[in-house]
Formats: sequence, C-alpha cells, structure tokens
Amino acid sequence: MSDWTRKAVLALTCVVPLALGPAELHADGDPQAGREKAKQCESCHGTDGRSVEPSYPNLAGQYESYLIKALSDYRSGARDHAIMKSFAANLSNQDIEDLAAWHSSQEGLKDLSIK
Amino acid sequence: MPRILSAVLIIAVFMPGTLAAKGDHKAGETKAYTCTGCHGIPGYNNVYPTYKVPKIGGQNYQYLVSALKAYRSGEREHATMELQAQALSDQDIEDVAAYFASLGGGETGK
Repeated sequence: MSDWTRKAVLALTCVVPLALGPAELHADGDPQAGREKAKQCESCHGTDGRSVEPSYPNLAGQYESYLIKALSDYRSGARDHAIMKSFAANLSNQDIEDLAAWHSSQEGLKDLSIK
Repeated sequence: MPRILSAVLIIAVFMPGTLAAKGDHKAGETKAYTCTGCHGIPGYNNVYPTYKVPKIGGQNYQYLVSALKAYRSGEREHATMELQAQALSDQDIEDVAAYFASLGGGETGK
C-alpha cells in the first residue's frame, strides 16, 4: 500500500462514521420505566396497548424499532399528527426508548403469516 | 310525516359510519399477497434508516385505511409504501385493511 493510499484509507475511516452521523436512538429501553411513562398514552391506546377507538393504532406487540421511528418522526414533524406531535414534543430520547420497549413487550400485533 | 320515515331519516343522519361499507377480508387476503413480501417476514428490516417493518396483523381497520390513504396521497412519506398504495383503489384499501384487521390482536381494548 502506498503512503498516499494509506493516508486516504485513514482519512475515510475517520470521516465516514462522522458523515453517517451519531447513533441517535437504540432499541434498548427499559420496559418497566416505559410502563410508568405510558400512563399518558392509555386514554387513547388502552392500558393493554389495544386502542380504545379504531382510528388509533394498536401498539401492543409492535416492533420496538418501529415505535421508536414513529415517535421520533412525530417529534420532528416528519410524521404529521396534531395530537401525537404535542405528546412527542415533550419526550426525551430515553422516554421514546422506554415507551417503545414497554409497548413492544405487550401481547398483540402479529406479522402477516405466509401461506 | 309518518313516524317510520322520521325514524329512518334520523338513523341515516346520525349513523353514517354504520352505513359505510367495510372492506371484504376474503378479497383482501388475495390482494394482500404483495404485502407479505415485507410484512410477512418476522423481523424484516427497513433500511436507511434501519427499523423493523411494522406488524400489521390485528391492527385496527380504520387506522389501516387512513394510513394507506395517507401513503397514497403522499401525506405520509415512505418511498415503497407510497408506490404500493398508489396502485390501490379505495376498495382495495378497504379490503386489505379488513384482512389485516381480521388477523387477531383485537379491534378495541380496555
């Protein structure tokens, strides 16, 4: 490897992770902490994660990483919903991770079965 | 006005939701074949950004209809879902939503 190539590789090794950005949210929240924080969600999404009104989604058993994505998008405005935006605006990254961990631990939604 | 006619009118005015046709879950099962390519593989990942493709078996009918219509109009953004939804008529959306909702998980809870 030439000196130039070595320098280029070194530079890329340093720059690429920066370009990808800092890892933001991880699917490793605390479900029990999430259970407490989810009190505010219950009036619409139910105590068992099954919504009280069919225009609201069931959350029970949903994938943790998808719930994190949904809450992050509501918080940023990428996903637009007046009620959810106002709730998500007050959530920290840790809150989002904990809520996602709690709802994904509940029994409910399923993947489509392949026949 | 005859009392029976008044009663029919009152019902028609106050219960439009119950008069609206709900999708056909049997027809939806056939139409949902494409959806299983992503939503039928447990733990399948969406990439860039990476998160798991959501579970939709047992999801609420009305939520599914509004989600698909939002993807179709572009109001909700997701490249793959927008393309898929654009190929669906209102009837298709109602049918696949009825099928997904029929797969357990419960319509409403506590």
